[in-house]
Amino acid sequence: MKNKEKIGFMCAYTPLALIDAAGYAPYRILPSEACEDRAGHLLHDNLCPNIKKILDRALAGDVPDLAGVVFVNSCDAMRRLADAWQHVRKDDRIIWIDLPSSIDAMAHAYVQGQVEQMGRTLLSWSGSPMDPMAVEKSITSFNRICAHLSELAPAFASGAIPGGYAAMQALYNKASTRDFTTTLEEIEPMPGKTPAPKHDAVPVYLFGNVLPDPKAFDMFESCGAMIADADFCTGSRLFSPVTGGQKDVYSRLTSHLMTKPQCARSFDPALPGEIAKTTLSRARAVNAAGVIGHVIKFCDPYLERLPGIREHFKKNNMPLLILEGDCTLRSMGQQRTRIEAFIEMLM
Amino acid sequence: MKQYFDTIVSGIEAKIAADPMEKTPRKLYALEISRLGHRLYSGEGVAWCGIVAPFDLLSAMGVTSCFVEFIGAMLASTGIAGEFLEEAEHIGFTSDICGYHRSIMGAANKGAMPEPDCLIATTTPCSGGVAVMENLARHFKKKLFVLNIPRQMSKSSVAYLAGQIRQMAGFVAAHTGKPLDEERLKEAVIKTNEARAVLEEVYELASSVPSPVNSRMLANFGIVITLLLGTDAAVTVTKAFRDDFAQKVATKTGGVPNEKTRLLWIQNRIQFKNPLVDMLEKQFGAVVVIDELNSITWDAIDPDDPYTGMAERAISIPFNGDGSRRIENLKKLAKKYKVDGAINPCNWGCRQGSGARGLISEGLKEIGVPVLNLEVDCVDTRSFSEGQLRTRIEAFVEMLG
Ligand code: SF4
Ligand code: SF4
Repeated sequence: MKNKEKIGFMCAYTPLALIDAAGYAPYRILPSEACEDRAGHLLHDNLCPNIKKILDRALAGDVPDLAGVVFVNSCDAMRRLADAWQHVRKDDRIIWIDLPSSIDAMAHAYVQGQVEQMGRTLLSWSGSPMDPMAVEKSITSFNRICAHLSELAPAFASGAIPGGYAAMQALYNKASTRDFTTTLEEIEPMPGKTPAPKHDAVPVYLFGNVLPDPKAFDMFESCGAMIADADFCTGSRLFSPVTGGQKDVYSRLTSHLMTKPQCARSFDPALPGEIAKTTLSRARAVNAAGVIGHVIKFCDPYLERLPGIREHFKKNNMPLLILEGDCTLRSMGQQRTRIEAFIEMLM
Repeated sequence: MKQYFDTIVSGIEAKIAADPMEKTPRKLYALEISRLGHRLYSGEGVAWCGIVAPFDLLSAMGVTSCFVEFIGAMLASTGIAGEFLEEAEHIGFTSDICGYHRSIMGAANKGAMPEPDCLIATTTPCSGGVAVMENLARHFKKKLFVLNIPRQMSKSSVAYLAGQIRQMAGFVAAHTGKPLDEERLKEAVIKTNEARAVLEEVYELASSVPSPVNSRMLANFGIVITLLLGTDAAVTVTKAFRDDFAQKVATKTGGVPNEKTRLLWIQNRIQFKNPLVDMLEKQFGAVVVIDELNSITWDAIDPDDPYTGMAERAISIPFNGDGSRRIENLKKLAKKYKVDGAINPCNWGCRQGSGARGLISEGLKEIGVPVLNLEVDCVDTRSFSEGQLRTRIEAFVEMLG
């Protein structure tokens, strides 16, 4: 099969099915340690390292040919990345999704307009006709990917499939950087294994924003953790299925963006601080003995909500360890002693 | 804080009563802002807001409203932010977060922020600003409304925001018991437009050479004056500045004698007392003649369709949308005010602002305006290294010649 052209994206709120429907492969531009640190000069050192390392890739020419890039108006750092991106890669065609922070009927109508516009733009680039059936088909493929990944995660975590959670993260990374068909071809034949209980490890729930490095998960496991579940925008949060019974595919995709597992930048104003409750109940649902939050340094959406999360966990006697990282394993390595001590305490 | 505002109000009122010559624009401005502070701390019908909330609409409803960052700035300028910043860190807010927001959370936790009736967050200018409102809503156990400000101006984005503002009015009425009277709203909009027209004159006059301003006169002005929009106070204050400037411009009297160098200040002023601006004026005759937000980016609002105009106003602020829009506005100001250079404090913790640092420098360089980027926390004195900043500023102004 001819390699599909790629559409770059950086945020888990990107409707991947729409990219697939227009005949492109979604390509997540993940932060990489390999490129020289140069972005701080154009941005500022106090910006989220995820954003800086993505820009470093652009500055180093470490991004494949792209037919276009989708930006989501998710946070200050992402907005500034978009400015810098357009400066560094002047020829890239850009699509914006202006995603409100809160959810209601008016926001739905507005976001649906954005999603439809994204569909029109992609189709105008690819020269394909507008076809709701093609979108429906892509949603189905996307949901198949999500279903398989969510089945595989506990199997990898428990050791029922070898490789540990690092192998799972490597799958997430692959699935977010190539076309749906290739992903399905790889994951569909993978054996459906029942997760085996792991008696020698402590079940831990992980949450945070960006943690794409498989070795990071190796490290948690080598400290004695069994990753009972993980909620990251570079993992399961990107691969949550498009649900809803609306006939209109754009309306379904919109509902999906607004109701899928949320990054801290989205919230329901009627339930301030709800992220703490959601995180705790997800941890409880998988019988986690403790929770580790891994948050990227300088990420305001998370940093500002952490005190509320800490308070809620304390009140509810759920052990919590917060780590601040910079997308490098070096920073994680420095935290190793803390992780070990935390897991030991849970034993 | 209540006592602080009360003391300023009674002090200025007494001075003006004793000597009408004391009625300087800056004093009138301080008086009206302190009256607002007094009302906020008197605790009735208060809405804590984000920066681009429609304060004229809230005024028309009889609701005292203010963006919370104003309190952060007040705490810093009165020299008491330190204990609140420490409190915030004590309860888990890292010092990497914007100092305005940290000081507010510390103040709320120490009971130094009046309890509001409700809260209105605005997604512009910053992600931190929305998060702090969510935190305050949780802290006070009060209802929160979020105004999602679209990133670009278009028919649909304006309609979306206008609809939200309309809904917001209903939300505020439900939580304050103060319904919106459309006639009063019309009157408020007429006052907003009047103040807007006078502000245009104020800024036009301020751009004269020599400028009638000194470096402090219009510090924080463009952003704080929005709190008075829709009221007579905004008209009184803006007219006072206009008349004062007009007289100075007519007699070619500079706000600083022997103005030599003209500077543009980007985004935040350093809110706590510090000697840098005085040093600029006294040592170098260098005057901050323009602050980034001292410009009007919105059209007069149609009193018969106020929601649309208010939506356009919020979307138009330069911190919203693409950085290129902000840079164009800075270039326009730099040219209009004939500045020789610009200073960007790059408030630590402000991703929205400091993240644009490199492109702003490049943009202004294109029109021959050098930018000095500093590393300052505009609210937190603890990381303020005066000696280092002095040296850098001296070298910069000397370079400007
Ligand atoms: S990690 Fe945080 S700051 Fe960085 S892009 Fe994600 S939400 Fe934005
Ligand atoms: S300084 Fe920046 S982060 Fe702080 S309130 Fe202002 S715009 Fe927001």
